[in-house]
Amino acid sequence: MIATIVYGLTIGGILYIISIGLSLTFGTMRIVNFAHALVYTIGAYVLIASMRVLGIGFLPSVLVAVALALPISWLIEAFVIRRLYGESLDYAIIATFAVLLIGVDAIKWIWGATPISLSDPIGRDLEILGVVLPVYRLVIISAALVVHAGLVLFFRRTVVGKIVVAGLDDKDAVRAMGIDADRYFSIIFVLGSGLAALGGILYAPITSVHPYMGFQILLLCFAVVIVGGMGSLQGTFLASFGLGMMISLTGRFWGPAAETMVFAVMAVALILRPLEM
Amino acid sequence: MTRMLKRVEILLIAAGFLALLPVLKIQRTTDFIIFCIFVLSYDLLYGFMGRLSFGHMLFLGAGAYGVTLFTEHGSTNPFLALGFAVVASAAVGVIVGPIVVRTTGAAFALINLAFNQIGYFLVLIAFSKYTGGEDGMAATFRTLGFFNLQNRKVVFGFSLLVLLLVFLLLKRLTSSPFGILLRMIKENEMRARFLGYNTFRYKWLAFIISAALAGLAGALSIMNYGYVTPSFIDPNRNVEVIFAVLIGGAGNLYGAVIGGVAFMTISNYLATYISRWEMFLGIGLLILVFRFRAGISGALSRLFQPVGASEERR
Repeated sequence: MIATIVYGLTIGGILYIISIGLSLTFGTMRIVNFAHALVYTIGAYVLIASMRVLGIGFLPSVLVAVALALPISWLIEAFVIRRLYGESLDYAIIATFAVLLIGVDAIKWIWGATPISLSDPIGRDLEILGVVLPVYRLVIISAALVVHAGLVLFFRRTVVGKIVVAGLDDKDAVRAMGIDADRYFSIIFVLGSGLAALGGILYAPITSVHPYMGFQILLLCFAVVIVGGMGSLQGTFLASFGLGMMISLTGRFWGPAAETMVFAVMAVALILRPLEM
Repeated sequence: MTRMLKRVEILLIAAGFLALLPVLKIQRTTDFIIFCIFVLSYDLLYGFMGRLSFGHMLFLGAGAYGVTLFTEHGSTNPFLALGFAVVASAAVGVIVGPIVVRTTGAAFALINLAFNQIGYFLVLIAFSKYTGGEDGMAATFRTLGFFNLQNRKVVFGFSLLVLLLVFLLLKRLTSSPFGILLRMIKENEMRARFLGYNTFRYKWLAFIISAALAGLAGALSIMNYGYVTPSFIDPNRNVEVIFAVLIGGAGNLYGAVIGGVAFMTISNYLATYISRWEMFLGIGLLILVFRFRAGISGALSRLFQPVGASEERR
């Protein structure tokens, strides 16, 4: 049972790290960013590439992968998303989906389609109450908590964070004060994408890395954002861990149904609280 | 005069597909026709009501599995099975509709995708005992007089007839007050509500019609191929119909047919020469979104418009 709970928290942590960027782009730019899944996948692949090609350890590779994901997401923002500001949402959805398709195919081109598995970078287990737990899972959970704390501080204490919070609430008022809200939103976009890459990196040793890994997780993250409320830090946090627990508990009884349960919860959430977007 | 025109356009579509016959194999041509029905059903939702769905394969799959399961457990009469498939996919629309049509934009796209994912899971894993899981299952239809589905010409003729009927039905529907209301919902739903229309009910109805027509296309595909696999409900294939609608021009019934044929030509013939298919699809979508929004039908109508009358239509 403890193993199930820890697994649920691990999934929840991963979901949180990936979803928060999605939720903030949703809230600030009103754009559904399918390309988020691409950055996530790139994170995992660059991690593996830098470990194998450069021969450096796990931690430096994490830094390399996140560092590489940032300019890529900036390119996506500058060349695709910024050109669709103020246009119909549908075009943004289609365009970012197209970016995802192109990127996934490029990954297949470079690395091939065969799944790659990565061994546990820590490789130690911890025994709690007679249950053996990989330390790496606890690392993921703490990473999610650190990211959350960091974001809370960022939005409460820094000027950029405060501008974004204000922009989430009323973009026009922010602009009326002479602040270019869109510029700050693109900072948030790049930040969120960097976190998506981090999510992909952290998840890589647990799951297998393959070109389509992003499609799978993206749907779950959309469910998190819809259940938690878009642009809400606390909501996304609670929804991530709640749905993570749900996946792990369902998976205990009937593996294949685990992810489908999430969509059932999302449907219920929508019935109770219809979403206007 | 208008009646004349209506006959001409029907003849044109029929002649167009007959002209494809010598070029393609008859089964391929039938496949083109069926895909056009699917694109038409999607266009009602996206082009006319303005709701972009990423989960329309769910209804194609409901029709495909509906018809196959009916021949297995019910009767092998092709018409009964086809009717059952349409009712089954409409029923899925009735159930899913009230949840999804409350939403717009991104949420609509994603919730449809989520339901598509659930449907895919159901046929692939949960009910694999009945659906054959990944292997799929075969459907056999009884022969009724000359209506022998083993005969490719019969399937071709029947599919073409259904396409023309669906085209006429949608033509009628989209120019009726109901269709005008759908377009009003697309432009400004709040205004429609202020005028006293219960927009929820109309959106739901349009969703059900679209679902039923997609199911019809799915059932016809099974009549053409005789075999159903989970690829008929695969959520990753939704991009195909979106691409087809965009390339033809959304919100235009001719555009839907042109887009269906164009997409099928690309995916059936160009795909063998293009090794990076998904990349091609993605770049194509980007070009459509940034440079070519009105699609082929929009470009054609601009070509035939008198000079000065070519206002950019949004």
